[in-house]
Amino acid sequence: MPSTTPSRDVPSPRSRERGGSRGAPLVRLRVGFVLIAMVLSFFGARLVQLQAMDPQSYATMAAAEGAVEVPLQAERGDILDRNGVALAGSIKGKMVVVDPLLTRDEAPDLARLLSERLGLDYFRTLAALRGRSESSRYEYVARRVPSTLATDTLAAVDEAGFRGVMLEDDPIRDYPAGDVAANLVGYMGTDEPLGGFERTFDAQLAGEDGLATWHSSSSKGVRIPLRESTVTAPRNGADLRTTIDRDLQFFTQKVLAQAVRTYRAESGSAIVMDSRTGEILTLADVPTFDANKPTEADKEDLGSRALNDVYEPGSVQKVLTMASLLDAEKTFPRQRFKVPGSLERQDRPIGDWFDHGTIRLTLAGILAKSSNIGTVLAADAFTPTQLVGYLRAFGLGAETGIGVRGEAAGILTPGGQMTSQTKDRVAFGQSLSVNVVQMAAAVNTIANGGVRVDPSIISGSATTDDGTVVGTDVATRRRVVSAKAARATARMMERVVDPEVRIAPRAQVPGYLVAGKTGTAQRVDPECGCYNGFSVSFGGFAPADEPRFTVYVVIHDPAVDGGGGSITGPVFSRIMGYVLGRYGVVPTQGRPSRLPVEW
Amino acid sequence: MSSPALQPRLRVPRVAQDAVARARLTVVPRVRSRAPRVPFVSLVTLVLVGGIVGLLLFNTSMQQASFAASSLEQRADALAAREQTLRMELDDLRDPQRVATQAQRMGMVIPAAPVFLDLETGVISGARTPALREDALNLLPQEPVKPAILAPKPTVVTVRAEASAPQQATKQARRGTARRSGQPNSARR
Repeated sequence: MPSTTPSRDVPSPRSRERGGSRGAPLVRLRVGFVLIAMVLSFFGARLVQLQAMDPQSYATMAAAEGAVEVPLQAERGDILDRNGVALAGSIKGKMVVVDPLLTRDEAPDLARLLSERLGLDYFRTLAALRGRSESSRYEYVARRVPSTLATDTLAAVDEAGFRGVMLEDDPIRDYPAGDVAANLVGYMGTDEPLGGFERTFDAQLAGEDGLATWHSSSSKGVRIPLRESTVTAPRNGADLRTTIDRDLQFFTQKVLAQAVRTYRAESGSAIVMDSRTGEILTLADVPTFDANKPTEADKEDLGSRALNDVYEPGSVQKVLTMASLLDAEKTFPRQRFKVPGSLERQDRPIGDWFDHGTIRLTLAGILAKSSNIGTVLAADAFTPTQLVGYLRAFGLGAETGIGVRGEAAGILTPGGQMTSQTKDRVAFGQSLSVNVVQMAAAVNTIANGGVRVDPSIISGSATTDDGTVVGTDVATRRRVVSAKAARATARMMERVVDPEVRIAPRAQVPGYLVAGKTGTAQRVDPECGCYNGFSVSFGGFAPADEPRFTVYVVIHDPAVDGGGGSITGPVFSRIMGYVLGRYGVVPTQGRPSRLPVEW
Repeated sequence: MSSPALQPRLRVPRVAQDAVARARLTVVPRVRSRAPRVPFVSLVTLVLVGGIVGLLLFNTSMQQASFAASSLEQRADALAAREQTLRMELDDLRDPQRVATQAQRMGMVIPAAPVFLDLETGVISGARTPALREDALNLLPQEPVKPAILAPKPTVVTVRAEASAPQQATKQARRGTARRSGQPNSARR
């Protein structure tokens, strides 16, 4: 196309040349516009794609560049004893993790370094460093390493020039006293609580983890200032304060364990209660376990037998029967009974633990000598409904609800359904079952002047995992028997430990007035559903005229012949002597009971 | 159409041309400000440069503070961990088991009952009972439960009565017969 402007003069050869090579301006313009439009529409399409179709992905990628996200571990609350000494505590720990992609080549040398420093198994460490699978980028080498040791080790690893070893937070749960109160405190699994208070009060103890995010320019985690950073502070778990006295608990466990070992018994429990407040100072179970190594223990030893197992209380129960009779004014301590050698009742004869002809005992004598026949005769003044009503008021047959997992309520047949034979046996402590805390709280009612205080093991209050609030704050009191009846019962119980009566002189605490009661009950063997072996027990309080502490000890299935007086009496005496001294209870100057036993 | 503005010009006499020339509007020359420009420019430059440099320094110091903050944080963490480790060691030292073991090694025994001395009156209350060596607590931890594979049922070997008497075995030994070899071990079981 030579020219589009024919009206002009003849174009110069130069301009024709130019027009020929580059085309006319209008054409060039059009071509240029088309090109620009094409490019711009590409841009536009890309813009729509980025902004409308998938607006977030690049924003996230941009934010993720150099972003650091650090979970802030909430510190687990401690479990404390009554003096604030930790029964369970948390310390900062680290887990050592490796990236096998980086460690694989130097695995043997690095494994030697790590296993020597951290006390690990070399071959297991080597396996982790090589990666358990080809594509693995994350392997645990060690968990719950004390923080100081872990950081020192990491410094040594860096110095030796190895790469791919990292530390992450991993708090350590520590039980400084090992097996002391382990049955109550419980234990932790790898990441979650598995038993005891740890599990029951996990919501309170665990707290809530926080999260910190920031941008970092280096591998050391230094923050880039002025870039977005957020911190959600962790909420640390709250401490749980118990009423346990750690040293007393330790002493009790040792004394009890010694008795269980000496008498080759199956198990035993002991409890120390503050008579006035119902606070449990000690709840010992034998056998127990080391809370730091729960996996090494027998599974059956991990719970609290004192609350999870029930047994027939035997003669300690007579204390409750007597107090009820005295409260109802059906009898009095000096009332005289003729006790035959055997008592024929509807279904079978009732006998005493010692052979005798017809003997003449007072009510005090019946309790002191622990005569089943005498108790049945005295309890004839009650209908089953009356007796069961009193026993329920003492707290038998109902859970104590102190906040220990899996508590068994025991069995107490309702009064309306109870036959007179069952009532006879219940009166002296068979045909009903209790747990240790129930029985201790019932005996404590006598110590506390006839007012039952709910036992509690949590100081203040705490909420269990099923939503119940437990603790000293919610413990209630109610009068079960009159102060006069309680006092009279205590006077009769003093005669049990009297050396002259020769029932349980070894339960005496030198210098103090002690009131107590022995118990030897036939024990139900769950395997055969029959009676097999015995549960021997001793419950009492001191000083008898102004009670401060109630101690109750039970030992199940001793292999050695003996009763509550000879097996559990000395254990009671030992524990009581120690607790009285520990809490500075000066001997009272009261006169010992001189109630007649015989007539 | 010719412009009407041009018509009067045609009629203007030549004599009036000077007046017309004088009356014609001219552009007033712009008054040139003689204020010096240098201070203003330098002020703006200074502000700009100062701002940029200040920002740079501020940023640098923030970076430095950030480095310092993270190193201090690390130190705080390390110290907190150290404190906790020490506290754990202290707790281990306070472990009643350890304290009791030490005390018993020193010959101390927990008495059966306490005795009180009133410092004001000098009165002693409580029964004095000797704390005997036998009263010492048995502090041995309970035996660990062994897994079944490590605690196999004992193998009971019943040995005939004649071989079980030790006197017989010694007599046989005195006689120096070769028969005794292998027998005494099983006899003593």
